[in-house]
Amino acid sequence: MATAVQARNVDGPKIVSENQWLAARLELLVAEKEFDKQRDALAALRRKLPWTKVEKKYLFDSQQGTVELADLFRDRSQLITYHFMLAPGWSEGCPGCSFLGDHFDGALAHLNARDVAFTAVSRAPLANIEAFKRRMGWRFPWFSSNQNSFNFDYRVSFRPEDKIDGKVNYNYGVREFPSEEAPGLSVFYKNSAGEIFHTYSTYARGLDIFLGTYNFLDVTPKGRDEAGYTMPMTWVRHHDRYANNYVVDPGASFEEPVAKQESGPSPCCSKESKD
Amino acid sequence: MNVTLQKKQIENPKIVSRSEWLGARKLLSAREREVAKLDDELNAERRMLPWVKIEKEYLFDGPTGRLTLAQLFNDRSQLFIKHFMMGPGQKNQCVGCSLEVDHLAGLLPHLENHDVSYVAVARAPIDEIETLRKRMDWHFPWVSSLHSDFNYDFQVSFKPEEMAAGTATYNYKRGNPGMEDLSGDSVFYKNAQGEIFHTYSAFGRGAEIFLGIYAFLDVMPKGRNENGPYHSLTDWARPHNLYGKGGTVEGNGRYHTSGCACGSHK
Repeated sequence: MATAVQARNVDGPKIVSENQWLAARLELLVAEKEFDKQRDALAALRRKLPWTKVEKKYLFDSQQGTVELADLFRDRSQLITYHFMLAPGWSEGCPGCSFLGDHFDGALAHLNARDVAFTAVSRAPLANIEAFKRRMGWRFPWFSSNQNSFNFDYRVSFRPEDKIDGKVNYNYGVREFPSEEAPGLSVFYKNSAGEIFHTYSTYARGLDIFLGTYNFLDVTPKGRDEAGYTMPMTWVRHHDRYANNYVVDPGASFEEPVAKQESGPSPCCSKESKD
Repeated sequence: MNVTLQKKQIENPKIVSRSEWLGARKLLSAREREVAKLDDELNAERRMLPWVKIEKEYLFDGPTGRLTLAQLFNDRSQLFIKHFMMGPGQKNQCVGCSLEVDHLAGLLPHLENHDVSYVAVARAPIDEIETLRKRMDWHFPWVSSLHSDFNYDFQVSFKPEEMAAGTATYNYKRGNPGMEDLSGDSVFYKNAQGEIFHTYSAFGRGAEIFLGIYAFLDVMPKGRNENGPYHSLTDWARPHNLYGKGGTVEGNGRYHTSGCACGSHK
């Protein structure tokens, strides 16, 4: 998208009278209402998707101990699991997932009131998840799938053997992907008999709809302002990492946040330098 | 679309094999990409909307004193204004505005580091605003437009005489909006010379895109599930600290506590 459509008034502003603006705004309003209809129709199509029954028993690690997939619903019939990219050994969660993660807490009380339980799920051990969650100040429930095949079954983690000619099956197609983890969001339904069904999953750009920040940026003169970036979200940081010297490297690409291996004491305070 | 997609699943679930599901999901995926492309095109149209220069001086009351419209930009070039529906002395909190701003805490650092300042504006006096802001534990900037024409000029507050004559305008339609204060969202741009321009406003369903929760509900089996009496978020939305505590909501979004004895919900 960033490269396809770049025209914007901010680059050569056209300043008009209130009446002229109103005429242009009314024209845009027609287009907006037309789009609303398309989006509503798409949501209706989603609700017509068939379901698959979840036959496998998944056990997750939580602060309350080991829990089943059914427990994640917490007395609600609908469940969202956000597949948060945080693999064993990573020092922090993926910045893009963390950006998305900043959109969960505000909606949480309201989702819960709408018969929706919301959780994040990552493959990292629970202790790593909890530490990162504390750093980010988040409240949404977050479970570890470290002991089960949940991430692999819902195609958001890839084993070395899942790679064929350097490609993995992700986002409903076979493609190259730069990481052992990928982002996604899956939806489940539990009926009154306790049966669980997988109803929906979306990945990659399909997740853009959950990034409310983009909806705000989309009505500003500069828009998403991501032209020329290697990745659309190159400007995004963990919310505690924006600083006064914040600069964006347009050529930056995704790197797995693997914890640095401690290779002994640094030279400045090593025993040798003291001697 | 595919014959397997004919019924609303939740009422009459069709359970299929993984491979059959994948077939249906890929068809839907193609449609999702088409709609995403339409969204990109619409956003390009939004960015091409001309601007109107702001010639009037607007003054707002903040918690620590007077602020000009220019000061609300806070050294950024883009300003997003949330017109929060709250008139002077208004007791009944708007559930739609409250739902909208509940999303902001998480978004704010990203918007503010991408050249967008966010400020809520209401016509209620600043001390009434501060009382509600603290009660709801909201931390976004919020100022009062009580002593300016701002709300009237941007068509979210209406003079009683205009309402009576049916000459008020809300959401680009002339008539009687029925209430003195309504909600909306407006965008402004400030250039290097300090000139300010009004670039965009949205009201009613046009502001739905700022309700992040709808994106989640729209992928759930039950969807938005707004089945009455108002067929909008007023059917279910409550201030986040008042779910499960009773009360009623008017069709215009005003919340009444369970102990409320006013005549509007008898």
